[in-house]
Amino acid sequence: MGRVQRAAIVSFLLLGAMFITVPVFAQMDFSGEWNPIFYEDQPERVAGPEIGDYTGIPITDAARVRADSWKASVQTLPEWQCRPHSADYIWRGPSQLRVTKEVDPVTRKVSAWHAEWLRSVDNVIYMDGRPHPPDYAEHTWGGFATGEMVGQTMTVTVTHLKEGYLRRNGLPRSDTAKIVEHWIRHGDYLTVAVIMYDPVYLAEPFVRTTDYRLNPGGLVAPYPCEVVEEITRPKGSVPSWLPGKNPDLTEYAEKYGLPQEATRGGPQTMYPEYRSKLK
Amino acid sequence: MKRRLLALFVVATFISGIQLYAHHSFAATYHEDRTVKIEGTLVQFQFRNPHSFVQVDAPDDKGVMQRWGIEWGGAGQLGGQGVNRYTLKAGDHVIITGNPGRTVEDHRVRMVTLKRTSDGFGWGQEKGQTFD
Repeated sequence: MGRVQRAAIVSFLLLGAMFITVPVFAQMDFSGEWNPIFYEDQPERVAGPEIGDYTGIPITDAARVRADSWKASVQTLPEWQCRPHSADYIWRGPSQLRVTKEVDPVTRKVSAWHAEWLRSVDNVIYMDGRPHPPDYAEHTWGGFATGEMVGQTMTVTVTHLKEGYLRRNGLPRSDTAKIVEHWIRHGDYLTVAVIMYDPVYLAEPFVRTTDYRLNPGGLVAPYPCEVVEEITRPKGSVPSWLPGKNPDLTEYAEKYGLPQEATRGGPQTMYPEYRSKLK
Repeated sequence: MKRRLLALFVVATFISGIQLYAHHSFAATYHEDRTVKIEGTLVQFQFRNPHSFVQVDAPDDKGVMQRWGIEWGGAGQLGGQGVNRYTLKAGDHVIITGNPGRTVEDHRVRMVTLKRTSDGFGWGQEKGQTFD
């Protein structure tokens, strides 16, 4: 065997070895401890939204009626005090996020992801291709979530959620909603686009993106929650406003000098051309 | 100045990774631009999550005695500020200032400052004595 042939064989073997060490199904790893990044979302995600601010959200008339009649006081009821944020809303919460993975011991592929925040349940995302259950199956705070990798992006579909909320000012999200999430990781940054489809309370899909940054030393603290009597009120009383009686609905528009109509939401308020209609 | 402080808080939060607890929207729950003062007798201290509550018997602005539910920080957050379940006791005479709730009949207040008259114990006057 000549020197040239030997060199060719060695090169071939080295090249082969290199390919063997590269995983056949390289998959983005989302596991770790993540810190929320707030920037312009700080007022929304920490302090919380104001009453009557539906600006830019494609709600239906039904959603507007529900939100107008909502009183924050309802959250002092025993049923509400320890209610976790649902899988779709919790991305907008202010706490750290922990993502862990389950690996199939035989195939060594990721069979499920778990996402957990301070005020959430353990949100499981199945990656094994199982189908979603029928509509009548149990609805939970975490819903039923399946995921698939599309390139380096994970696309998650969540169904079977209990009724929840779009914002913490009474805007509702129905239990028939379907949520699609796109998890995108760039180095130490995680961006998740959450797209909500709700045939009851949304006239068009509602899209929000939320950012997190990897924090290897982070922890999600324990969160034992205890139900007590926070407010003394007559038995059976459920706080709400009758239609047309909520005195706080104009406060937001007045405070920021906005046309009242613009703060009432609806799909038209999402688009740039809505500005010219207001002039 | 307020903007600078807000920016500082956001940056500090981002860097330190401290736990934030927001459960409900304060703006939607309270009149944050108003302040009330409650002076009366502490009936119960509910040190817990999602938020602690201080139940106080005190007169309203018409002089009628009411049971006030004063919302405070969650147990984890208050614990980090040196408050524990034994800090306050039934029978304590307290003076509390805070933001009144939007539902008047609830007699609910978001704690801003607290003072116990018997020993001068206070909260809300020192830097970092806030909650979310």
